[in-house]
Amino acid sequence: MLRLWPLARGLQAKQVLASLARCNSSAPPEKLEVFVDDKPVLVEPGTTILQACADAGVEIPRFCYHERLSIAGNCRMCLVEVERSPKPVASCAMPVMKGMKIKTDSPLTKRAREGVMEFLLMNHPLDCPICDQGGECDLQDQSMTFGNDKSRFTDMDHTGKRAVEDKNVGPLIKTIMTRCIHCTRCIRFASEVAGVDDLGTTGRGGDMQVGTYVEKMFKSELSGNVIDLCPVGALTSKPYAFTTRPWETRKIESIDVMDALGSNIVVTMRTNEVMRILPRINEDINEEWISDATRFAYDGLKRQRLTTPFVKNDKGILEQADWESALIKVAQKIVQTPGEKIGAVAGGLVDAEALIALKDYLNRLGSEALCTEEIFPMDGAGTDLRSNYLLNTKIQGVEQADLILLVGTNPRFEAPLFNARIRKSWINNDLTVAMVGSQVDLTYDYEHLGDSASILNDIASGKHPFSKTLAAAKNPMVVVGSSALQRGDGTSIHKAVSTIAQNARVQSGCGEDWKVLNVLHRVASQVAALDLGYKAGVDAIRENPPQILFLLGADEGAITKEDIPADCFVVYQGHHGDRGAAMADVILPGAAYTEKDATYVNTEGRAQQTRTAVTPPMLAREDWKIIRALSEISGNSLPYDKLQEVRDRLYEVSPNLVQYGEAEDANYFKQAQELAQSVSGTIQEKPLTPSMQNLKDFYMTNSIGRASQTMAKCVKAVQDMD
Amino acid sequence: MAANSRLLAGRGSLLARIVRRSFADESGVQKATPAVGEVIERHTERDTIIVNRIEDHTPLAGVPEEHRGSRRVRIFIPAKNAMQSGTYGSNKWRMEFDARERWENPLMGWQSTGDPLSNSHVEFATKEDAIDFCAQNGWECFVEEPKKKTFKPKSYGANFSWNKRTRVTTK
Repeated sequence: MLRLWPLARGLQAKQVLASLARCNSSAPPEKLEVFVDDKPVLVEPGTTILQACADAGVEIPRFCYHERLSIAGNCRMCLVEVERSPKPVASCAMPVMKGMKIKTDSPLTKRAREGVMEFLLMNHPLDCPICDQGGECDLQDQSMTFGNDKSRFTDMDHTGKRAVEDKNVGPLIKTIMTRCIHCTRCIRFASEVAGVDDLGTTGRGGDMQVGTYVEKMFKSELSGNVIDLCPVGALTSKPYAFTTRPWETRKIESIDVMDALGSNIVVTMRTNEVMRILPRINEDINEEWISDATRFAYDGLKRQRLTTPFVKNDKGILEQADWESALIKVAQKIVQTPGEKIGAVAGGLVDAEALIALKDYLNRLGSEALCTEEIFPMDGAGTDLRSNYLLNTKIQGVEQADLILLVGTNPRFEAPLFNARIRKSWINNDLTVAMVGSQVDLTYDYEHLGDSASILNDIASGKHPFSKTLAAAKNPMVVVGSSALQRGDGTSIHKAVSTIAQNARVQSGCGEDWKVLNVLHRVASQVAALDLGYKAGVDAIRENPPQILFLLGADEGAITKEDIPADCFVVYQGHHGDRGAAMADVILPGAAYTEKDATYVNTEGRAQQTRTAVTPPMLAREDWKIIRALSEISGNSLPYDKLQEVRDRLYEVSPNLVQYGEAEDANYFKQAQELAQSVSGTIQEKPLTPSMQNLKDFYMTNSIGRASQTMAKCVKAVQDMD
Repeated sequence: MAANSRLLAGRGSLLARIVRRSFADESGVQKATPAVGEVIERHTERDTIIVNRIEDHTPLAGVPEEHRGSRRVRIFIPAKNAMQSGTYGSNKWRMEFDARERWENPLMGWQSTGDPLSNSHVEFATKEDAIDFCAQNGWECFVEEPKKKTFKPKSYGANFSWNKRTRVTTK
């Protein structure tokens, strides 16, 4: 036997050499065959055992592993037996090897899971009946499925049971740290995705604690996501605390309107109230995260609401009215006024159905003065070519890009998930980021080219050293923030940016399929409004003061009482009593985004639909229906009665508005850039300063956020900390 | 009696189909059956009517008139709960009706609705089944395809890489 041993080693060496030769061949890596519970699966090399099992349809229990975070491998719940391995293997961190035989249901695996579960539960409080995670707790579910049914816990006086002091990390996240099982998901999220290295651990073993080291707020625009990530009830939502149980609620899959990205959300409803908002996976947009404004501004939907129509009386005081008298009052005015003397301004939260209804109605009356509050340059190709105003590369395109130039934008607060995507690419793909505009903290390093807008001219003409970097990039992106285009010289900025983008497109050789020019919008309604032919900016109203002004959710104060004649009759339609309603003669209460089936188009040009979660409060109604009713009373009926008919009309105007989930590509960059050359005007020297600089500016950006108490608490907490 | 058998045909349409499948071949001609089968055959002949595939279920389904033509159904696979890692709840196709008005009931202050379909929870193995079901019940429907998932290779070693930004501060 001993004499045979060198021979056996020789044989092994030969095998190793053969396998090395295979590795060196230039053919693409072939798929490996592994066996999960004797079922063969083919997986890519480098796949972990846990991923291979998921491919085979076997879900491995886990606490610390999360698809979108780095692998920690510290909870040990994912232990599985692998044939010819002396010990159970942590499947989340172990890459598969050829022919590996994984046993996910063997006695050894079961025993390993039971053991891990026993250790976790030994120091976990029996809080479940009063814990907010109850009913959707990974620990609860997995202890039922994989835990032992017997207890060996003998410390009945609880002399040694772990107890940890709760931390105060701000007004959004409630911490009950005794429940923590040290999976470190929150820590990894904070340092990897949010880019705020605030959370960490102190102590070891039984004394380990997760916290912020010194008591402070978890200062991030994405902080709420750690509530979802926490597999137990250690981090829960403060505003949602003790309100509902998951089995009592209805979940409605909808779309967010707090920024222009259109994050996919699930609205949770009970007793006709929005109880909370959670993210929904969409790899193209928000992955699995949502921003704090999206998640926590929902209490603004219950405050400051317009619940009944109002009509101004003789004394100039708004009085409650019924729908009939309010609509008749408006219709009378409209009938008396020539069509061209009627104007309309649409705000940032309006859906495409309401936009088309209002546009069709005013067009029928003979008015073309339909504007949006948000400004976009209308000279040159303006909004005639879609490529001019879309995020053409798409949000997912960030992961293919190797260079991004940000112009006058602070994506961290204007579109937090776009920023998270840039950060993700910066970490994983070595993305280079440069910025023209005020220096802000974007959570990743970037080359700051300066804050003066005139730098754009230098880059466009090739004088700036950055032009060479841009030309050398393989897949460059130029992202101009909508806030930069709000300035008086917005046209020139857009012209310079489109020239930079077009030059980069030609010089970098990225090919026809790669788009370079990107516009990052700030409000949810803007792309749909521009698609439908609204004029961007309220100049048309200022130049031609109307006798009737229709404000459709316009609350940002683009038009004030001073801009319009004193006798101008102002109709406000919207859901919150904000700036627009304050100047109105008649108020028509509309529905918020959780209260209607509506279409929103995000900054990529992707149409998505919201679903009705709750009924609009009291007398409030869906927006397009209000306009439809008004059109009938004023004797100019719009030709649609049902939602489907309105959408058919949307399809007539622009088919992309009802192709839900798809982002149609826009093109004609060259032509748009050529048309832009005809525009005269120069860029002003003043610095490009985005409106949102600090975290405190982020929370209250629209009428819902301004009505939210939670958002107000956030602003205060950030201010107190600074 | 005639009314009774019509009722039975409606109620027992599933039964009828099962019986038809087991006792009739494609042409509808009854097969030769053993002695026990004969009894059952006589039984089925008396009590059930063999019907062809029903395209319109509305007269039989018992759905109130106002909820037949006017409802819009969304066919989808429910999203995974963001709070948990399990995916059991998001495997099957579901149908969901457009939301109707809810109001506060003046008696107790609870929420009321006049919509009997809002509480329905019907699952299907495939979207075609769901579309078929909607067509048979006269509901307009649309399908929302599930979001594509992308595969990301992951490596524990990336935490320790010395020249990449994937190196983590928290280990």
